Amino acid sequence: RGSRCSTSPYPGRALPRPPAGPARPAGSLLRWASSFSEPGPKESGPSEGQIFLSESCVKRLLEIAEGSEFLRLQVEGGGCSGFQYKFSLDTVINPDDRQGQRGGGARVVVDVDSLAFVKGSMVDFSQELIRSSFQVVSNPQAEKGCSCGTSFSVKF
Amino acid sequence: MLVRAITAPVLRRWCRARRSAAAACFPLGRALLGVRGAEAAVFLQGLLTNDVTQLVASGDAPPALYAHALNVQGRCLYDVILYRLHGSTAEEPHILLECDSSVLDSVQKHLKLYKIRRKVTIAPCPELSLWAVIPGEQPGDASSLPKCADQALLLTPDPRAEVMGWRLIAKKGANLSEIIPGCQIGDVQDYHRHRYKQGIPEGVKDLPPGVALPLESNLAFMNGISFTKGCYIGQELTARTHHMGVIRKRLLPVRFPAPLPSAGIPAGADILTESGRRAGKFRAGGGQLGIALLRLAHAGEPLRIALPGHSVSLSASTPQWWPKADAK
Repeated sequence: RGSRCSTSPYPGRALPRPPAGPARPAGSLLRWASSFSEPGPKESGPSEGQIFLSESCVKRLLEIAEGSEFLRLQVEGGGCSGFQYKFSLDTVINPDDRQGQRGGGARVVVDVDSLAFVKGSMVDFSQELIRSSFQVVSNPQAEKGCSCGTSFSVKF
Repeated sequence: MLVRAITAPVLRRWCRARRSAAAACFPLGRALLGVRGAEAAVFLQGLLTNDVTQLVASGDAPPALYAHALNVQGRCLYDVILYRLHGSTAEEPHILLECDSSVLDSVQKHLKLYKIRRKVTIAPCPELSLWAVIPGEQPGDASSLPKCADQALLLTPDPRAEVMGWRLIAKKGANLSEIIPGCQIGDVQDYHRHRYKQGIPEGVKDLPPGVALPLESNLAFMNGISFTKGCYIGQELTARTHHMGVIRKRLLPVRFPAPLPSAGIPAGADILTESGRRAGKFRAGGGQLGIALLRLAHAGEPLRIALPGHSVSLSASTPQWWPKADAK
């Protein structure tokens, strides 16, 4: 993992080892941390935020992403509680996207506006009886949300 | 923008019909916000109680829509009327949003907070003026009101209730007698009196943000809510109340038989039955009229408000425009 950063087209912070500490949930769900930095030749200032990917998320992405597809996470206004997460598979990177370092081959891309709402969160692929889906869990910015988990409100 | 050439015979016929029932035009102190962009309707859909897609569905759909913006807890924040300005679905959506002018900044901030990346622009429209056109004693037919010249952007029935007549949006400084021949310009206080007589809440005094509940404020009776659209802010409590709860209190028009002290009645004043049981709270009013949030079980009884020094009596009534079966 340490050697990856010198060949990566997105120089920035090297993919860090999974952080030890209280933030890490029990059961070793946490494997990959994507830190977001400015794409481009120069290293920009401090990272604009980190998104953590759970093992199940990486596994699922590797299963379903074809070719150059990556997982795009967006935050939209609306929904029961004010904001809602939107996951999609995309192939186009825009100038205001922030790309996470590849975590075992799985890529997550968040635009800079949405990143402000989800930095510090973890993306998990949760499989339950009612549905299997990508979910944003433990978002430090989010307050109580709606019962189905798609919508959240923001702590001010 | 719809402009129809008005022929003289049509005008004469219309003026004759309205001779004994001149419509009154009231300049409203409400602000207009323009929301334009490809995603204007989708953007507003997630923020308002009513189905905005109905407003932009086709060029024939009614061009006005009443709705509330709620907070996450399901309480009213702002009451708004939306107007569709663009003509057909081929054009870029252009929606005007009417709100209480004292909260224009808050409404703008609220919209901008949830905008994030939506392709919409939000800007006030100080170059436009908003009027209410209230019919006289005779009931009028909305389609018989001519739209005249290019000074009128939109003339449409008030989406809340037929008794509220029409809403007119014109350029600021437009000559109203050119747009609606024979109408009288009235004092906006008379407009408010008409509203309180009919029990139509409007603005932050009648619907205090964070306090008023949409269903108790008769939002459903005023065609302001859709129970079949997708998620919007505050939907959970509203949908749950509608499907499972019983609405025991509603905003009702009240009348004070005796002239009031000059200070008026304070908002939130407790209303009691003759025997002293709590019947509700006074919300707002003017002169000898007002609206109050009252328990429906006590709404038909003689009521009073205890002010320091003396007691003021009042009576409530059920508005005629409420759906008959639902006056419970």
